[in-house]
Amino acid sequence: MADLVQMIERAGLSLATVMARKGADYGAIIAALGDGELHATGPGTWLAVSDASLDELPDRLRGQASVSDQSGGYIVYRFAGPGARRLLQRGAFIDLDPEAFGPGAVAVTAIAHMGVILWQVDAAPTYDVAIFRSHAESFRHWVEGMIPALAPISA
Amino acid sequence: MRIPCPHCGTRESQEFVYRGDAAPVRPADDGAMFDYVYLRDNVAGVMREHWYHAQGCRQWIVVTRDTRSHAIDHAEFAR
Repeated sequence: MADLVQMIERAGLSLATVMARKGADYGAIIAALGDGELHATGPGTWLAVSDASLDELPDRLRGQASVSDQSGGYIVYRFAGPGARRLLQRGAFIDLDPEAFGPGAVAVTAIAHMGVILWQVDAAPTYDVAIFRSHAESFRHWVEGMIPALAPISA
Repeated sequence: MRIPCPHCGTRESQEFVYRGDAAPVRPADDGAMFDYVYLRDNVAGVMREHWYHAQGCRQWIVVTRDTRSHAIDHAEFAR
C-alpha cells in the first residue's frame, strides 16, 4: 500500500478563502499574498494556503477582497506515489490525465461524492486535496478502501 | 449528461443543481406573482435554464439545452 500511494496531512497550514470585491484588480490581490499558494476556486475567488500566518491578509486586501479564515474548516492531504493519479481518478469525475490536468491545475469538484478542492503540485505526480474537516474521516475511509483495490493491476 | 461550465469546463451534471426555466422575471406587482412562482411551460425543444454549480465554482449559469435530445448548445454565466 505504502509503495503505491503516500497520503500525508499537511499539518499546521493557514487557509483562507479570498473573494474579490466588485471591480477589484485581480493582479493586485494575487500579488498581496506574497509567498503563499493561491488556488482559483471560481471567478474572483481563491483558496489561500500558507505555512506562515495569514492574519495580515485581510488588512493587505482591505477594500479589494473579503478574506475568511478557513484554517479550521479544511484539511489538506497530499498524495504522492505511482498510484496517486489512479487513486484520485477512481473518485473524481474530471479527467486527471496529464494532457487534461497538469502541475498547477486546480479543480473544485467531488471525489467519492465529497466536495473537494484538488490541485496538482508537480508532475511526479503529487496532488493536494483540501476537504471539509467534517468530511475528512469519510474521505480517509474511502482512501483506505480504495488503495488495496489498486494493487492487482499495478503489480 | 455533461455540462460545459463557463468557469470550470465540462463537468458531470451531478455536480450541478437544476433550477428550471431561466425566462421568468420577478414581476413588480403582486397580481402576476402566482404565474411567476408556479406556472411553467413544459418545453419540448430548445430552452434556456438555470443550473447552479454547487460542487464547483458555485456560480449560477444559464444552459441552452434541447429537452428532447439533451443536446447542450452552450452555457454562460447567469450574471
